[in-house]
Parts: sequence; structure tokens; C-alpha cells
Amino acid sequence: MKSTIKFLFAFLAIASLGLTACNKDDDAPAKDPGTLSILFDNKLGDKGISLKDFGDKTFDYTDANGQAFNISLFAYYISAIELEGPGGVKHIDPLKVTANASEVTGYYHVISTTPGSNVINLSGIEPGTYNKIRFTVGVDESGVQEGAAGGVLDPANGAWFWNWNAGYIGFGVEGNASNSGQEYVDWGNGFETLEGTYAIHVGGWKDVEPQPGEDPKFVNNIKVIELDFDSSIKIEDGLSPQAHINVNFEELLKGIDFSATYAVHRPDLGKPFAEKLVEVFEFDHVHQ
Amino acid sequence: MTSPVVYWACLVLTVFVSCSDEDEPTLPVNRYEFRVPENFPQPIYTFDNNPVTKAGFDLGKALFYDPILSRDGSASCNNCHIQATAFADSPVHPLSVGVDNRLGIRNAPPLTNMAFFPEFFWDGGVTHLDFVPINAIEADFELDETVENVVAKLNANKKYRDMFRDAFDIEEVTLPYTLYALSQFTNMMVSANSKYDRYIRNEGGSLTALELEGLATFSEKCGACHSGELFTDFSYRNNGLDSTFADTGRNRITALNSDIGKFRVPSLRNVALTAPYMHNARFKTLEEVLDHYDNGMVYYETIDETFVNQNGLGIDLEETDKAAIIAFLNTLTDFDFVQDTLFFRN
Repeated sequence: MKSTIKFLFAFLAIASLGLTACNKDDDAPAKDPGTLSILFDNKLGDKGISLKDFGDKTFDYTDANGQAFNISLFAYYISAIELEGPGGVKHIDPLKVTANASEVTGYYHVISTTPGSNVINLSGIEPGTYNKIRFTVGVDESGVQEGAAGGVLDPANGAWFWNWNAGYIGFGVEGNASNSGQEYVDWGNGFETLEGTYAIHVGGWKDVEPQPGEDPKFVNNIKVIELDFDSSIKIEDGLSPQAHINVNFEELLKGIDFSATYAVHRPDLGKPFAEKLVEVFEFDHVHQ
Repeated sequence: MTSPVVYWACLVLTVFVSCSDEDEPTLPVNRYEFRVPENFPQPIYTFDNNPVTKAGFDLGKALFYDPILSRDGSASCNNCHIQATAFADSPVHPLSVGVDNRLGIRNAPPLTNMAFFPEFFWDGGVTHLDFVPINAIEADFELDETVENVVAKLNANKKYRDMFRDAFDIEEVTLPYTLYALSQFTNMMVSANSKYDRYIRNEGGSLTALELEGLATFSEKCGACHSGELFTDFSYRNNGLDSTFADTGRNRITALNSDIGKFRVPSLRNVALTAPYMHNARFKTLEEVLDHYDNGMVYYETIDETFVNQNGLGIDLEETDKAAIIAFLNTLTDFDFVQDTLFFRN
């Protein structure tokens, strides 16, 4: 009988909570959830990126050290997007990893071969005023360790994935450089690497403690980017706010020597590039 | 006292109680249910994402034995992972053999008890069981195929489209479901019914005096690395095979100089069946392995400190110790597992 009385109190407590919440809603009828479009504007300095074929020695960009290069292909993962407002409102884009492609959420692959992939449309955002965005570049441990995944995380469907050191390539760019040290390689089965190309693949999501006295080389190249908007935006049903973020490949490749660094395919080699990602992603503007 | 609210609350409570009563009857024995042996640790595999079902297991088995996963249809997973040797390679393949008879660089390890493993391959480069087959499919000296082609071939095959529909309720075959199926098959490869297991679980089995002596000596001399019921601590160590390393092992993954020449401490379950031994198949017999630890180790700067003692390198083993340890290791053979019809090719 005691437990019945406890149950009754719990029941009444929950019921009264429910009533309180209902009253609050009646006082201030809330707007319905809204949307936000996030546009990643890929740039090389102040210019847009004009993709060139592998082997195309038309160089439309020369860096500060006089190296002429172009870009043929790029891709990066954006995940774990969070929005915040000055009044404490917060939106967390839910993450889900599963084999069922239609149920995978929160992971986005911006890839140069897929037009429109640079636009991420979030919905179901709690109405309010927002002025900050946070996101992860890459797929961190929580995503990798869920196992096989569909959609943009499916290696047979365009995901950039390392099999030997299993995990996703968080940020990758490939192209041609006038002084690249890359020689021609025939890999067989129709696969080849052309002379004068370069490929920078930034991956690696694990932390392994180095031995005493040794530099940590097995690095976690996952980076979280946090950007403040220059003005707040209102998100609610009926509005179409947008946030523009520049992705400046000039910052990623600043200081590279293509004659020596043209094939980056290991976490330790990618670390210097991962450290630059915080400069690569820059807030541009928002509008309602 | 009996207000309507109390009446309804009691009624609700009654319903809850009667519901939980209905859960009581025991389920029929299901061979496709993943069970954790009493003496094993908890599994690491993400079963919530991919529970084992009969249809998924059958699909995984079909894929495992089918050379459709290779570039030219000449090799399957089964080429290097054979049930008779606890899904390690046959002794006639000291190193793995892939398409075009291409020789691999390492001895294919057994696939038993994978659900309990945190990392895979001799260097631990893969951290989730689902991703293991990608490595084998794409390696040019193994199956030398692209995952895109595998998916295309499976989609073009009515038998497989039907099996994927049965297993996962999908009309189009995709890679992640292919990997799910293979994981379901390998996850069921739990080998925990050796003579040792029946002894340690008090299921009526007993060990001979020599085997018990071997267990004690093994625990003392080998148990620091081959610890726990899986007989590995899953660490990466240099056990003194070489002083130069063409295959640098764990260093390939971590890029740490301190990891050059380190390889995973292997599980010793079914070890009597999985010759030859070591990542590079250096030793043909367990006697050779113990002789190596006794007096065959060579120095490289990453040598595991466990082996460094005042007499030099190695583990001090008398011939009687070796005989006893081998007698004990033989009790780790699970004859039920290697004969289990569940895993037979259909």
C-alpha cells in the first residue's frame, strides 16, 4: 500500500508539472520551429575556386612563394552543428550513425563533385535569436565507433574513408602544382596518379599517448570550429535566414612546399594542415 | 479513502504488474542470439546498431564464402580464414594468399571472439569490426576489389537482393548492410567451449596434473601479456623477433618510433590449431615459440621490457615448463567450435 501512495504522489507531481507547462504555453504562444541555411563558400584567397582536371597545368593561382597551383577536387565533413543565441537559446543538430542511409543525420559531406553539397539546411530549430555557430570538421570518435554507416559516410557511396587506419578523411584537397614532386604512378586496374599532382588528406581521430620524451605523432586531427555572427539572426517558422561561411583554401595551403609535400595520407603528416583549419573557416555574413 | 484518483492509480499499477508477469516465460533456445560466455568480458561490438538475426547471419555466411567479394572472383574471406583452424589460415599459407596468388605480408589471424576485441589486424589500425572487411576487400594482395564494385555485383545478383531484403528489409544492396551481415556472421564465432572453459566454469571438466601445472606456469611466465579469458591484453609489443623491420607493425598506425616492431599480443584461444605463429609466421610449432621466448630473442630498442632481465633477453623456461605450458595451451582448443555446423558453408 505504501508503494501505491508513493505512486500516487509521483502521478500527481507529474500531472501538476504538465498543467504548469500548459499554462505557460497559453501565456506566450510560441512560434513554430524554424530553419537555417548554412552556405560554405569555397575560395582560394579572394577568388572562387575554378576546378581543373588532374594533369591540367593551367594555374590560376600563385602563392606568396611563387608556387603556381590549381585545385581539382576537394571534400570535407561538417558534423555536430550547434547554434547558440545571446539569450541562452541553443540548437543541437542531432547525430545518428546507422547503415540506413535515410536515418543518418548530422553528418554533411561538402564535396566538389556534388553541386549543392556546400549548402546545409537545418530545420526544427527552436525559435529565437542566434549569434553563434559551432561545428566539427571531420567525423570524430563518436561517429567512427558506431560502425558501418550509410549516406555520406558510406565508402561505396563517395565517403572519403581510410581502410588501413579506419576512419574518415575530414578535409581533403587535390590538384596540380607547377613544382609538385609527384611522379607518374600506375596502380593497376585503371588507377593512376598523374605527374605533377598533389593530394592533401587530413584524417585521424585517435589520441595515443606518446612515450616519454617522444613527440605525439599519432594525432587527433578533428577540429571544432566556433564562429560568432557579426549580427544576430532570428530563426522561426516563416523566415529564411542564411549564414555564409567562407572556406579559404589559401589558408590551408599557406606555406606548403609542393616539391616536398605532395602526398599527405597519414594522420601525422596531416597535422600541420589540421592546425590551420581554424583559419580556413571564417564567418562571412548572415542575412534574414 | 477510496477516491477515484486512487482507484485509477491502483488500476494502472495492476496493469503494470501483470505486464511484467507476462515477460516471465523463457524464450526458446535461439542459436542466432549472441550470448556472452560466463567467463568472458562484456562484448565491445555495437550490437544495438546491428543485432544478430538468422537472415543476417545467413547472408553474412554466404558473403564470407563467396569469391564475389574479390576482383576476379578467385578469392573469398574463406581463402585465409578456415573453420578447421578456428578461422585462421591453413598452415600451407604461412602468409595470406590473395588474388593472382599474391602473397600478403602477415599471417592471417583467427576470427574467433571478435565481438570482444577493441582493435583489429596485427597493427590495430581498424577499431570497429564492421570496417575490417573493407581492408581485406581493397588490399591489392588480398581481394583487390573496390567496395563500389562489390555493391554493384551484389545488386546485380537476385539471390543476394533477396537475402538482403530478408535480412534488412531493403530493396537495394548497400555497403554498410553488407558489412553488417559480415559482422553478424563473425560475431557469432564465439569460441568458449574448450576443455579449459569447462574446467574454469565448473562444468564438470577437469585438467590433468600436467595441464594444471602448465596453467600455473603460464600464468606466472606469460600471463602479463596473455591475460584474461581471451589470453591477450590487446597491447602492442615487440617480442624480439627481429632487429630490423620491413613491416614496422603498430608504427604504421601511430607513426611513433617507439612502436616500430610492435604487434598485437594475439589471443591464444585455439592456439594449437593456428600454426604457424607470429605476425610473420616465423615459427611452425608451439615448441619453437617457447624456444624463442627462452633463448631466441633478439634486441631492438623497442623490445618489451617484460623480456629484459639480468641474463639478457627472454623468459626463463625449463624444458619441463615448456612441456607443461604446451599441455595447458592444448586445453584451449575448442573442438565444438571448429566442428559447429552453424558455420558450415551452405
